[in-house]
Amino acid sequence: MKKLLLSMLMILMTLSLVACKAEEPVAEVKDVTLKVWGSQEDQSMLSGMIEEFKAANPGTNWTIELGVVGEPDARTRYLEDPEAAADVFAFPNDQVMDLVSAGALYEVTINKAAIVAANIQSAVDSATVGGKLYGYPMTADNGYFMYYDKSVFSEEDVKSLDKMLEVAQAAGRKVFMDVSNGWYIASFFIGAGNKFEMVNGKQVLDFNNATGVKVGEAIKAFTAHPAFLTGDDNVLKAGLGSTVAAGVSGTWNANDISTILGANYGATKLPEYTLGGVATQMGSFAGFKLMGVNSLTEFPEEAMALAEFLTNEANQVKRFEVRKLGPANKNAAQNASVLADVALSALAKQAPYAMSQNSVAGTYWGPAEAFGLALENKDYTKSIQEMLDALVAQAGN
Amino acid sequence: MQSTQKFKNLLNKVSSQISMFFKGFAEGNIITKGSYIVMGLGQFLRGQIFKGVMYLATQILFFYFMITSGVSNIIGLKDLGSKMQERVWNEARGIFVVVKGDNSMLMLLFGVATIFIIIGFIITYIMSVHGSIQNEKIILSGKKPNNLRKDIELYLNDKYHVTVLTLPVILTFLFTIVPLVFMILIAFTNFDRNHQPPGNLFTWVGFENFSAVLWNDPLKSKTFIDLLVWTLIWAVLATGLNYIFGMVLALMINKKGIKIKKFWRTIFVVTIAVPQFVSLLLMSQLLADLGTLNVILREFGFIETFLPFLSNPTWAKVTVIIVNLWVGVPYSMLITSGILMNIPTDLYESAKIDGANAWVQFWKITLPYMLFVTGPYLITQFIGNINNFNVIYLLTRGGPLSLDYFQAGKTDLLVTWLYKLTVNEQNYSFASTIGIFIFLISAFFSLIVFNKTASTQKEEDFQ
Repeated sequence: MKKLLLSMLMILMTLSLVACKAEEPVAEVKDVTLKVWGSQEDQSMLSGMIEEFKAANPGTNWTIELGVVGEPDARTRYLEDPEAAADVFAFPNDQVMDLVSAGALYEVTINKAAIVAANIQSAVDSATVGGKLYGYPMTADNGYFMYYDKSVFSEEDVKSLDKMLEVAQAAGRKVFMDVSNGWYIASFFIGAGNKFEMVNGKQVLDFNNATGVKVGEAIKAFTAHPAFLTGDDNVLKAGLGSTVAAGVSGTWNANDISTILGANYGATKLPEYTLGGVATQMGSFAGFKLMGVNSLTEFPEEAMALAEFLTNEANQVKRFEVRKLGPANKNAAQNASVLADVALSALAKQAPYAMSQNSVAGTYWGPAEAFGLALENKDYTKSIQEMLDALVAQAGN
Repeated sequence: MQSTQKFKNLLNKVSSQISMFFKGFAEGNIITKGSYIVMGLGQFLRGQIFKGVMYLATQILFFYFMITSGVSNIIGLKDLGSKMQERVWNEARGIFVVVKGDNSMLMLLFGVATIFIIIGFIITYIMSVHGSIQNEKIILSGKKPNNLRKDIELYLNDKYHVTVLTLPVILTFLFTIVPLVFMILIAFTNFDRNHQPPGNLFTWVGFENFSAVLWNDPLKSKTFIDLLVWTLIWAVLATGLNYIFGMVLALMINKKGIKIKKFWRTIFVVTIAVPQFVSLLLMSQLLADLGTLNVILREFGFIETFLPFLSNPTWAKVTVIIVNLWVGVPYSMLITSGILMNIPTDLYESAKIDGANAWVQFWKITLPYMLFVTGPYLITQFIGNINNFNVIYLLTRGGPLSLDYFQAGKTDLLVTWLYKLTVNEQNYSFASTIGIFIFLISAFFSLIVFNKTASTQKEEDFQ
């Protein structure tokens, strides 16, 4: 009880101190120290942006330190020691849930309306948990679509998966998709309308219902087709132009693949697949990268201002120009050079069928990979229903 | 028998110390009695001023620490925090100001540290009382207690071991024992993805994680048992085969009549020059379903599609053992060839005179000698293989993943499963439980086998 009183008193005192400071007429130069995390490849670009930020906000004595922590590692590194973590850091949207439930992020309240209006809806949604915005959308290119060889397929062919397999087989080529990967295999289930939900921090899936089983049969038929090929990105890149005619992958391979295919380089949305006799559009995951503000930061307003600046229109355009990262900002996305990018426009075509990864738990990936692997290896010892039951049970564990 | 005797001696020593502690209070004079309350009194008033001041300072510091934070640290251990992080809307600033809540992880850490500080204090306290009683006895016998200079001399000569070992012991406690206790205690909490500081609290759950591993959760216990069996099979085969093949190789090279021995030895040792993780990553690329080996075999028409070296559970298990042989044999060859050259040749000569053939010589002379010398090495290798993270993780990442297991694959060892649970799942409490089991298994094998090996039991035999 005493402790509670004491801490209440402390809070009151700090608040009143802060209030006093705001009223003081003499504007002192404030010392602000912030730490920013960004990936290795972004370092020089980020330090340039930070210099611009300092120049645009005089009147404060800025000390901004830049550290190397790539977006995929942000969650792990943050949770290791929240107090020592950066004040402003970038992370992919699939970490939003974990970070928010760990109380890691400041809610975005300053200029919220402007941020929401400036960025595409799905990117804002991916940064929103329980109706509250927790991050500043930074890029919108982490999704997948179909790359294809124009010398093999016509624009009509790539609309249907069955047609693609047929044409590819006739040409002695393969259609590539990494089915033993939860990220890609989900496209069949999302397309069929199966749901990902989070209930009390546990993953709830309906993949083992009647539709899900039909999806499973469709994947089984796909993986059993002689023209089907699986593997990692290296397999796709090594095979394109010779043994592989088309493959599902993302923008990170766009440069390599356009070099390999040259004039035959084509990309479009994912095709339709046959679900119990009905043509169904494949869905996908749409991934975004966000910037967030550490909830334990000493300077929340300044950190928010920096995060907002680093993700504004001009800097999103710069990200595209320097690093070929697709913007989440609406105006930046209308930039002529962005529109001319084959891969990004294919991603835009896939966007209506894509869903954000927010309600996908870490427990989903392992079982989903195991399911895909069993089908790829043509291990049919268990029925589709049994395997999907196991998948749903494990993901919800 | 010897160890029970040792244990009895220890018990006697402790009980005599305790009875001395109480008897000292009853029989001591007023100064000695006072030193039970004020530390260092029995030293200060009897001429050991520096010692007395140090003891008193320790006592004051300890009480200061306990009042300011120690007591609340201990109370915090009970529930590991109750105040959640809060967000208070601040109209003027336009943001939700974060009010820090309790951090269960730090509370656990500080609580554990405080317990160690208390134990340390109790030991110091007993030392001071003990010293006071001794001083009284010394004065009664007509001598003077040691002054500072004499004490320093004592600690530089007769008690030099104490002087040298104090710092290492303190550091070991600080950097090994305290963190270890902290990690072990996590196994008794529900510290996982949904109870993640600083936003959430975690608390004690008793033996819930242990019961889940052993019987309560069928999926988890099946995974645990299956992975344990595979871990043991792997450890036995990886250790045994490496040893045998290394020895066979060494014997072949050592055999009379083999020419350019140095060249052969060098050839096999060259593989050591390539860092282990590089060879392992290369191997995993080479053996992939569409890897180099499969493509070459297909180009030459030996196979239709591909051989599932790493994607079929059984194939994958055999593959990791064989690749591990390739990585490990040079080392065991090096070690065994050194020892083989040391076996006295007169043993073989007399065996030859007695009419023993090469096979008998191997079984009766070479192998016993080798096992005798390399027994401890084999145990270390075995334990190392139980925890052989590199080979498994770099080669297969524990795959192929299976729906029969809880977030694990068919070639996962317990230790790689633990890694996945921590890094991918943030399921720290469950991972810590697995860690405790791994420790128990390793400790069991080390202790039993070490005590049984010839080299520890018959230390003098082979000289």
